[in-house]
Order: sequence, then C-alpha cells, then structure tokens
Amino acid sequence: MTFNIIKIYSIRFKLIASLIVVSLLIGLISILVGGNLLYKSVLEEANNRIRQDLNVARVIYDERAYSVCLALEVAAASGTEFKNGALTYEQEPLLAGLVNELVNMLQLDFAGITDLHGRVIVKYGYTSAKNSSPPETTNPFVLSVLKNNNKIAGTSVMEHNKLLEENPLLVNRADIKDVTITQKNASSSDALSTQHRTALTIGSAVPIIYEGETAGVIYGGFLINKETEIVDKIGETVFKNEIYKKRNVGTATIFYNNLRIATSVKDSSGKRALGTFASDEVTSRVLKQGEMWTNRAKVLDDWYITAYEPITDIMGKRVGMLYVGVLEAKYLDLRTKAIAIFSGITLTGVVIAIILGWLFTGRIMSPVSHLIRASAEISQGNLSPDIGAISKDDIGQLQEKFLLMTQALQEREKRQKAESEIRLIQSEKQASIGKLAAGVAHEINNPLTAVLTFTHMILRRKDLDCEVRSDLETVATQTERVRNIVKSLLDFSRQTEISTEPTDVNQLIEKSVKLMENQALIKGVNLIFKSDKNLPLFLLDRNQCTSVFINMIINALDATSSGGKIKIETQGCTINNNNGVEIEISDTGSGILPENIGKIFDPFFTTKEVGAGTGLGLSVSAGIIQRHGGTIKVHSKLNIGTTFTIWIPHKLLNDFIKSDNSKEVLI
Amino acid sequence: MKVLVVDDDLIVIKSCCKVLEAEGIEIESANTVELGEALLLNKAFDLMLTDIKMPGQDGFEMIKCAKQIRPDMPILMMTGYLTSDTISNIRRLGVKNYISKPFTPEELIKSVKTALNSFT
Repeated sequence: MTFNIIKIYSIRFKLIASLIVVSLLIGLISILVGGNLLYKSVLEEANNRIRQDLNVARVIYDERAYSVCLALEVAAASGTEFKNGALTYEQEPLLAGLVNELVNMLQLDFAGITDLHGRVIVKYGYTSAKNSSPPETTNPFVLSVLKNNNKIAGTSVMEHNKLLEENPLLVNRADIKDVTITQKNASSSDALSTQHRTALTIGSAVPIIYEGETAGVIYGGFLINKETEIVDKIGETVFKNEIYKKRNVGTATIFYNNLRIATSVKDSSGKRALGTFASDEVTSRVLKQGEMWTNRAKVLDDWYITAYEPITDIMGKRVGMLYVGVLEAKYLDLRTKAIAIFSGITLTGVVIAIILGWLFTGRIMSPVSHLIRASAEISQGNLSPDIGAISKDDIGQLQEKFLLMTQALQEREKRQKAESEIRLIQSEKQASIGKLAAGVAHEINNPLTAVLTFTHMILRRKDLDCEVRSDLETVATQTERVRNIVKSLLDFSRQTEISTEPTDVNQLIEKSVKLMENQALIKGVNLIFKSDKNLPLFLLDRNQCTSVFINMIINALDATSSGGKIKIETQGCTINNNNGVEIEISDTGSGILPENIGKIFDPFFTTKEVGAGTGLGLSVSAGIIQRHGGTIKVHSKLNIGTTFTIWIPHKLLNDFIKSDNSKEVLI
Repeated sequence: MKVLVVDDDLIVIKSCCKVLEAEGIEIESANTVELGEALLLNKAFDLMLTDIKMPGQDGFEMIKCAKQIRPDMPILMMTGYLTSDTISNIRRLGVKNYISKPFTPEELIKSVKTALNSFT
C-alpha cells in the first residue's frame, strides 16, 4: 500500500501546499515591505550622514585656508624683517628668506610679499630683473587686503594669466586634462579651454602692520587643481579610508565650477578622475542656485549617495563645489543582505510548514488512512477490519458510521450464509433422496413387473369368481399406485440437468394457465394471469418450467375454495445487480400453517390426503428453479392466502444464439 | 416368431414368458450377457429384449454384441430406471425402442409390436 506517499490530490498535499503558500506570501510581503523600509531608512540615514560628512569636509577645506592665514599672521606680527617701516623693494633679499621659510613650512604653492601699493617685493619661485620696476601684483588675496585693509583667507580663482604672473611653474599644475576631448588633441595645451587652464586656489593674505601703519602685504596659498591632500584628508578623516570591494567607500571632490579639479574618485585604471564634469542638474542646483544637494548619483561607473555644496570665493562669488559621496553598493548590499535574511526566514517557514503540515495531516489522516485500509480489507472480504481508535473530532463520527456499516455488512453476510446453508442442506437432502430412490426403484420395479403381469394375466381369465376378480382388481389398482409412487421417486431423482432454450416466460406461463383453466372453472376459482410485456427472452428448460408452473397452479387450486382467486403475475426484477424475472403465484386459499412453512420444500412432505400427492411436487419445483439459478420463496397467512415468488435470472442469450441459432426461439 | 429375453432377474423373464407365450411367441431366455451371446450365435431370433442394469456385463454390452452378431434384429430395451443418459446411449448403439419397468401385459405387447414393426 502507498498511503503515505504524497499524491497531488491528497489532503496532506493540499494542506502542506496551502501552508507553503501562506508562508511564502508572508515571506514575500516581508521581503518587499521590510526590505524597502530598511533600504529607505538606511538611505535616509546615509543621506543624513553624507550631509554631516560634507560639513566635516567643509571644515577640513576651510581649515587649510585658516592655517595659512594663521601662519601668515604670525609671520607678519613677529617677523623682525618688518621693523623698518614701509616695505621696499630694497628689502627683497631679506624678505625672500622669510617667504622661502613660509613656503617650506606650509608647503605653499605660491607666496609673496608686496609693498603697501601692491607692488611685488618678493614672489616665491620668481626672481624678477632687478632693474625693472617691480610689477603690481594681480593676486586676488593681496588685492582684497589692499582694498579692505584687512586679512583675508579663503578660496579664489586664478586664471591662466594670473598664474603665469604668479609663478610660471604653476601653469602646468593648473592645467586639467580635458577628458571630454580626443586623446590626440589633449596633448596640446592650446586645446584646453579657459576653464581647464584656470586654477582654484586656497590662500590667505595678511597686511603687515608697522606701528599702526600698513607696511605691506604678505600672502600665500595653494593650488587646488590636482591637489590630493585635501580630498585624501577628507577620505581619511571622514571615511577612515574604508575600502569596500576594492573601492573607496567615501570619495571627495572639489570642482572649479563644474569641472573636477581635485578628487579621490578613481577610475577603473586607478587614476584620479580629473577633468570630468558634474551633471547639469547638480551644476544648476548647487552652483547656480547655491543650494546644498543630496541624492544618489552616478559617478563614473558607480552609484554614490552624494552631497554637494557650493564653494564661494573671497569675493562671495560661487566658483566651485565641494562634493562627498559614499558608495551606494554598501547600502544596497545591506538591502541584499536583508532580503537574503528574509528569504532565509521564509525558507525556514516553508520547511516548518512542510514539517508541521506533514505531522498535522498525519494526525488528522491517521484515522482516515485506517478507514481507507479498512475499506480495502472489506472489499477483500474481511468484514471486521481494524479501524483504529475512535477519534474525538468530526472524523470520529465518520468512524462510528463506518463501524455501523461494517456491522450491518457482517449481519448481512451472516444472513446470507445461513440462507445458503439452508439451500445446501436442501440440495443435499434432495441428492441423498435421489440416490436412495434410484437404488430402490430398480429393485422394486422387477417384482412390481411380476405382480402387474401376473395380476393382469389372471384377470384375463373368464372363469374367475366375482369376488376373486374384484380382489384382484384391487391388487392391480394398488400396484398401479405403487408404480406411480416409484415413478415420482424416479422423476425426483432424475432431475439433475436442464436443457435450456431461449423462451418467452409469459408465453410459457400462458400455456400452463390454459392447461389449468378448465380445472379452475370446474372448481369455481378465478385464474388470472397478468404479464409484464417488457420481458426479454430467458434461457429456460421449457418442460421442467412448465411442470413447475402447473404444479404451482395445482397446489393453489387445491388450497383455494370456490369463489377464490389465483393470480399469476410476471415482472422484471433485479436482485443483487442481476436482472431477472419475478413470477408471483398468489392464491386466496387456506394458507400454510406456520409450523409447516419450513418444511414445504422438503421431499415427501405433504398436507394432502393419503394418496392425493406424493409430497415431491414443491421439492421438485424448487430443484428446477435452483438449477435455473433462481430462487423460490413462500409467504403465507393462514385463511388469507399464500404467495409463491419465483425469481429467475436473465442469462446472456448471445452465446446460446451463436452456437444454436437454427433453433426456433418461440414456443 | 422367436424372442430372446435377457435379464438377470428370473421373475422378469418369467413375466415376459407369461405374457408373450400367451400371444403365441416362442421365448428363449438368458440371465447373463454371456449366455445371451451364446444363444444369439446358435439360434435365430426375431427380437431381443434386454435389461440394462445387470451384474457383470450390462445391457449395453449385450446390445453391442447383438448388433455385431445380428445387425438386422430389432432390439427392445427394458429398464427399471430410465434416464435421458440411458436413452441417448442406446440410441447411439442403434436402438430406439425402450420400455420402463414395471409394465402391464398390454404395454409389453404394444412395445414388442412397435419394435418388430420398426424393422419390417
């Protein structure tokens, strides 16, 4: 048996499937809702963080300018070189040392000292011809100090010519290779636009005060172009140089306008991604409208959660942008991780659902499986199968009903067994009587032949005395009676076989009824035959069946007094799934005594007067009907009447017709 | 007219003699098949009456034997226990006349006449 195997329509499968569906549904919703919520909050958190990071970056950026400013202030205030009043060109050698010292200390890209009119006295890395009059500086920091008579620190733009003037060496450093134009042209510096040749600088200028009077200006600063210190310091301070999947998690960039001039963003070959532009949206929002901008953005090939803010120069003009960004992949992976965990939980749920479903259905289905096994056993003939313990739930009711059913089946089988036992006894009785009759008959018939012969031969004589003749005639008559009894016995023992032909039952009965009509008329009994016209042909032994019908009618006639009624009725009838015909012979006669009902089919049982019947008629009739596969039953009520019910099964005619289709079908 | 009666029961032979001799028929009898056979070989008979159930060789053997010795002689079978099997068996041996024991003299005479006529 394969009850435990999951079949697609089994309750176990259905239950487990629904549990799986439920857990999958819950899991999927968790993944979608939870994963997104988590992602959103993480993203928000990342946006917040990036804003803070940007602030820190700004501080680092500004700190550069302030540190220069501080150093310059210290130099201006404490330098012994400035104790001679207004600075003049003649003091250049002395001051050059100071400038060099400052440059070395602060790693400045440019530095210098001018007189109070802005004429350059010392410029780092630049030795002017001593004869020529000193040039007026174009340095924006110095100009600002001269204009406002106050120290300045911050960002400023220095165009190509200004750089050239400040220090020709700076020009090359400022040039940003334009990655948007072709490689061939890129080698030529002429191809660079003004923007690419302009530098963003951080610097400071401080007035040199001597006895309350401005004696000159000292200045210094860095080029931001191609500068790595600020951006790397931001990376180091803010992002701790965290590496995620071989990429820096945090990046920082400084833009001149929208051009990347210093950055820690590296391209695929590991080179800093200078010379590229920020997107139009960022440019318009940050540079033009002066807003802070936070969002996810694609930088080169990767997505970053980014923050931009404008860089304002010392004149208050927006000249560039400061950018920090964290790799989105880190946060995306967080979501992926969350989804993986949720999926894991869902999967665990499914597994638990399967296990629970299996155990649960096991509990529910155990009594049902028992019932299924029990049904199988019943179909194989075991009418008292084990159906297991009666459960307390709804299935318990089913089990109880099932138990009732098996009990009913057992009772029915018992009844059928008893009936068939009775039938067996009946046929055994007939067989033994038949044997006896055959043996006896042969032995009796020879002496009977002699008695009959000699009696008749004596009766032929004419000289017999009247009394002797009369006595002899009695002997002859009684011998005839003996002969008839023996003949009945032999008839009874002979009925071992039937030879059947397709027969119209109604016609056969009609014939028997016609034979008996006269006797019924004489006795004043109404003999009625009511036939079912829709009967098929039956395979019957016509002679034997006729004798059954006639025997039945004779019995009915004997039992029924004048004015009574005998009714014969045929009707199609199905017993135990077998089609057949039911022949009912009912009379309004005296009925059968209840104590005799069980004996009427016994051979030699008769209630008729001595000599009126052999007591074999019903026994023989029952034998004939049984040999046709049929049954005969009696139902009787004293003084009301008796009904004999004969049932004969309908056997398939096909085989018979095939083998013997030449025979006439109707009688 | 000469008739051979074969039966193991002498009272049957005697009864047959009583009836048939009264009709002017000469009777020879045998109580075994062997004796019947010997008689058939030595004498001519117009008819043979034979029982079926006999100890030793039975009536069917007797019929077979008679059919060999005298194929043209009519045979009348008599039996105290007539069954359809018996009838079909004697038919197969070429005998169609039979009479059930017990019988009255009239019935015997009628059967004998029928058997004789069926062969003339």
